[in-house]
Amino acid sequence: MGSPVFVGIQRILVAFDASPHAEHALDVALSMAGDSKAKLFVVAVIRPPEPAESAEFNAVLEDGRERYERSFAPLRERAKQKNIDLETDIVLGHPAEQIIHKADTIQASLIVMGKRSHTILHRWMLGSNSERVLRYAQCPVMIVH
Amino acid sequence: MTNTWALCALWVGLALAATLLAIWFKISTALSEIVVGTVAQLVIGVFLTGLFGFAQGGLAGNTQWITFLAGTGAIVLTFLAGAELDPVIFKTKWREASVIGLAGFFGPFLGCTAIAHYVLHWAIMPSWLCGVALSTTSVAVVYSVMLELGFNVTEYGKAILAACFINDLGTVIALGLIFSPFTIKTLIFVVVSIVVFVVLPFLTPRFFKKYGGRVSELEAKYLLFFLFAMGGLAVWAGSEAVLPAYMIGMVLAGTVGKDHSLIRRLRTLTFGLLTPFYFIRAGSFVSVPALMAAPVTLLVLFGAKSLCKAVAVYPAVRVHKYDGKAGAYYTLMMSTGLTFGTISALFGLNHQIITQAQYSYIVGTVIASAVIPTMIANSFFLPRHLLPRTKASQKAEQSIQRPIPAEEG
Repeated sequence: MGSPVFVGIQRILVAFDASPHAEHALDVALSMAGDSKAKLFVVAVIRPPEPAESAEFNAVLEDGRERYERSFAPLRERAKQKNIDLETDIVLGHPAEQIIHKADTIQASLIVMGKRSHTILHRWMLGSNSERVLRYAQCPVMIVH
Repeated sequence: MTNTWALCALWVGLALAATLLAIWFKISTALSEIVVGTVAQLVIGVFLTGLFGFAQGGLAGNTQWITFLAGTGAIVLTFLAGAELDPVIFKTKWREASVIGLAGFFGPFLGCTAIAHYVLHWAIMPSWLCGVALSTTSVAVVYSVMLELGFNVTEYGKAILAACFINDLGTVIALGLIFSPFTIKTLIFVVVSIVVFVVLPFLTPRFFKKYGGRVSELEAKYLLFFLFAMGGLAVWAGSEAVLPAYMIGMVLAGTVGKDHSLIRRLRTLTFGLLTPFYFIRAGSFVSVPALMAAPVTLLVLFGAKSLCKAVAVYPAVRVHKYDGKAGAYYTLMMSTGLTFGTISALFGLNHQIITQAQYSYIVGTVIASAVIPTMIANSFFLPRHLLPRTKASQKAEQSIQRPIPAEEG
């Protein structure tokens, strides 16, 4: 039986971008998954430049895949040590859309993600991924500061 | 121009600024470099010409060494685009890809030529050039959307990708042959090209196996030798250097294209030095006053490209049983294009086939065609039933009627 606080949480989705904020969110999610015996899903999103250009697009794709695979290796080890069932995935697209799509696909009980501090200009031009996920996700969302 | 290093610093500084803008706004570096080139030419041309002795004529884009670096950028970029062809997919889908790819090429090629000539009253050669430039599609744009939606692993997605290569092959062949006088030189170029394209796939892997893998970068020199040699032969015959570059890329896709380490080193050379000069130069020739003076021309060309692609590709797609939203999505994806469009337009400007104003309209249309169809396609025509069904999604669909547990609501 899991901790009473986390009863009912069966699948936790962590949005991961290899930033310190995402690492922190991952620590929290690992702790929660350990307590609740939930399965942990980690999704990393590669955002392609728009409009995509052949050589650049493939470079971004390969670089992103290698970077996230490197980050996932120690994570798998940590999950194994804590006896947590872990599944990782690398997808391509807009981060907020892909996180929500992944959460829907796996029927996540909870999305955990870090909050990045953007400038006002950046937020105005591109928006905040965490805000979009919070607004459109079909399950509870935990933003880790 | 008196100071080579100052001019070089100016161009590399612009490339740096364009890259930062691309990172901040999540846009492609190529698009950012074109826009930075256009704005820089406008600003330097109007306000800074004559300062420091290096800015005579704005960015001085026709300086010989800049022309060389930009031209090499176009050649290597085209080679890399050809090398991304997946021979396995192509072999399994070549019939379908050929029909749709050729429809995607000939529709806008003939249609845009006719509209440029009869509606915009352009002379016949600029109209042909316009048709070539707007006949392109962007494999990268299509591939990125495919990956995003998971179509790249479906039969549907594979057919679209293969068709894009055929479409662009039509464009480079048209660019390489239509504007060149057919002489004995053309015949020599065609015969030598065929021999080289047949020999290279056999020679290259054996040569690399015996002498490659050293710090002297023999592979890069070998490839650049053939790209420059065939480019030189093409120009001698009155053709265009990107035609053999794309073909060499395609014939080596199954060998060199799979050597990720080599491709990565070529990308470093291409992105770090060559393509900034190509795209900034392409942008610097865009005349903002010309675009502002006749924005309707831009709208007419964009409408012509989109309409011609739809009229040509949609029936071909329906013949292959992709109807409804799937067919519309296929058609819209084939309407994109960036690299070959700018290469064709720049070829026309360099060979004085088109004026600077016509060049500006064509490049503007090419950029719009790379951005707008993708947005429309993703918003209105996403054929979700063609997405690959994972076990999780099937389970989710089966349990869609299940009441949502309190903690998930």
